[in-house]
Amino acid sequence: MTAQDLSSLTKKQLIVLARERNIAGRSTMSKAQLVEALSSTEQDVNRPDPAPDAFAGINIPGISPSDRAQAREKRDALYSRLSSFVDTEVHCAWRSSDGHPCGLPVTVGSPTCGLHGDGTTFDCAIPLTGQLGFSAWPRLLRQLSLATYDTDIFGLDPVIAEMVWHVVNMLYFDYFRVDVEGIENIPMEGGAVLVANHGAAALPYDGAMLGLSVMNEAEIPRRVRVIGTEIFNMLPGVSHLYRKAGGAYAAREDARELLARGHLLGVFPEGERGFMKPVWDAYKVGRLGRGGFADLAQEASVPIIPVAIVGSEEVHPTVMVSKRLAMLVKLVFPEQRLDAVAIALNPVPLPIRWRIRFLPPVEPTAPGHELDSLDQLELAENVRVTIQTALDDILSTRRTAF
Amino acid sequence: MQRVLITGAAGWTGGHLARRLEKDGDLEILGVDDREPKIQFDSHFEQLPLDRLTLAQYVLDVEPNIVFHLHSVHPRSVQGQSKDAEERIVGSLALFGALERLKTVQKVIVKSDTAFYGASARNPSVLSESARPHGSPSRYERNLREMEQFIGDTAGRYPNMSVTVLRFAPIFGPSVGNPISMFLQMRAVPTMLGFDPRMQFIHETDAVSALVHAGNVGVPGTFNVAPEGQIFLSRVLRLGRRVAQPLPSKLFDKALTMLQRANIVIPDDLRGLLKFGRVTNTSAMANTFGFTPAFSQRGIALDVYGRNPETMA
Repeated sequence: MTAQDLSSLTKKQLIVLARERNIAGRSTMSKAQLVEALSSTEQDVNRPDPAPDAFAGINIPGISPSDRAQAREKRDALYSRLSSFVDTEVHCAWRSSDGHPCGLPVTVGSPTCGLHGDGTTFDCAIPLTGQLGFSAWPRLLRQLSLATYDTDIFGLDPVIAEMVWHVVNMLYFDYFRVDVEGIENIPMEGGAVLVANHGAAALPYDGAMLGLSVMNEAEIPRRVRVIGTEIFNMLPGVSHLYRKAGGAYAAREDARELLARGHLLGVFPEGERGFMKPVWDAYKVGRLGRGGFADLAQEASVPIIPVAIVGSEEVHPTVMVSKRLAMLVKLVFPEQRLDAVAIALNPVPLPIRWRIRFLPPVEPTAPGHELDSLDQLELAENVRVTIQTALDDILSTRRTAF
Repeated sequence: MQRVLITGAAGWTGGHLARRLEKDGDLEILGVDDREPKIQFDSHFEQLPLDRLTLAQYVLDVEPNIVFHLHSVHPRSVQGQSKDAEERIVGSLALFGALERLKTVQKVIVKSDTAFYGASARNPSVLSESARPHGSPSRYERNLREMEQFIGDTAGRYPNMSVTVLRFAPIFGPSVGNPISMFLQMRAVPTMLGFDPRMQFIHETDAVSALVHAGNVGVPGTFNVAPEGQIFLSRVLRLGRRVAQPLPSKLFDKALTMLQRANIVIPDDLRGLLKFGRVTNTSAMANTFGFTPAFSQRGIALDVYGRNPETMA
């Protein structure tokens, strides 16, 4: 569109165009100013804005400028790949009870946006506005306050999940600089059980990174539904946020339900023992629970994908495990089943370079065949050995943790 | 002509159920309750003390074919009314004793509550009918379990009688006037700081429809009755333009007690519900029982707060 075409439009239409191109101060501009501003931004309309550098101006020891550049590159690549899922030209056809339009762009090949669509949004994590990063937040916040969409039965709120995604992406790209291998082992559709080693000691970063690695690297950005213990249900604040971000409770019923609905299930069967590994035991994978995940995968006849995560067990090196502190925590949360609490020296996670390797899937045996408890334990032990081997392999090739 | 007995006919649900059945015709409807009816209907209504043998005598006299037992368990409020719950359990015992003695009864439909599962951090996210309840139950929840237990026993002894137990999600509607609807329709609603429970409701008219459907088809078994899906409490209040007033748990308890003094009945299971929420699996309702509610979870909230449905332009 040339300046002449633009000036033939009404001011209202110009403001709509200006909103789409994010022109600052558009509401106070005159028509002539709008035409000028629009024609000057004409050139770079088709190219998405580069994603903002999360840590611009902040120097983090241990993260070199070349890492920065690499993170930026990766982020931009992801950004342009994901924006191809969204058609910013067409707006969602949905109207609220007060007659407000939805205002979000549609997903390609559908008349509605991700929120008001047919529920693909619950498994597929496509950015709703077609943008990544904080620039999408105002529009997401509007959706949040309008509350016009459904949440899924486990409590996933696609808008909150996306906001969390944008925030944690900073850790993913700029801070932990996650390298992912073997992403092709993740199936494009249908369920799978992702079994990973557990670490971190303070916050479950590994759950978030596991989810993000599949969202960011897989060809179709699928959600991993990570299940956590009941402490997530009890803590004020966390109790609903982790659910809205896509988590669920580590009960057999939940896992079964998630797999039946064709979701990717993320489990950390090492549980709290893995969480509280002292630093000298890092990357020594413990017993994988009672192997319940093997039974679940067999029952739903979905593959088990072992995942080796290097990084999580060093971000908060655990120097001691305290039983007394656990008793104190129990005073505040008497319902807790907590025997010990890990103590780390650093309140801020260390900028470890993470590596996540998805290993070839273990396919389920013929449907209908039931595993007895020995089969389960054997399968779990095989998976443990696979993860351990992969961890040792990654550790032997890396020169530094940072 | 079939004879239908409705216990608890004085309540909102009972009254509307009687009206709906009257419209369907060809049924002789008898309502019993221990108080004046809230909703007027044309059929016969008998005011009886339900916890005594008079109820059993009455049932033996009228020989019903279909029984709707809505007067099952009363949600004991935080303060007082402790007698009520006890009386209703005894009433149910008397009723089922009488039904066992009669051989004319074909269908029994019992109104239960998803409060059966309790509210706990250890409950699975989606509760199916076979779920084992966790946590320490409130009095109401214990009474429900006790009642379902002896109903199950009776049903086991008399396979000719089809017993349908409907576990209703909290009934929510603009006119039902039950404690949870009153509570959520206040201008400012106290909520628990840091908790946003996952809730499931059923619309008042859908609750009546489910009972009518159960009377028609007579599928034996226990079913959760609610629309598919869940809704966060914050979302309900947002849709209703109500102010959520988050309070730390001690203050929250105080607020509930104060509401109690201001004559708003607060059932003793409400606190747990507003902390941990409760969502059930409704696939058995849809597939085996064959009932689909008309209102979705969002639709219920929009309707209760008098907003229009959403559309596609």
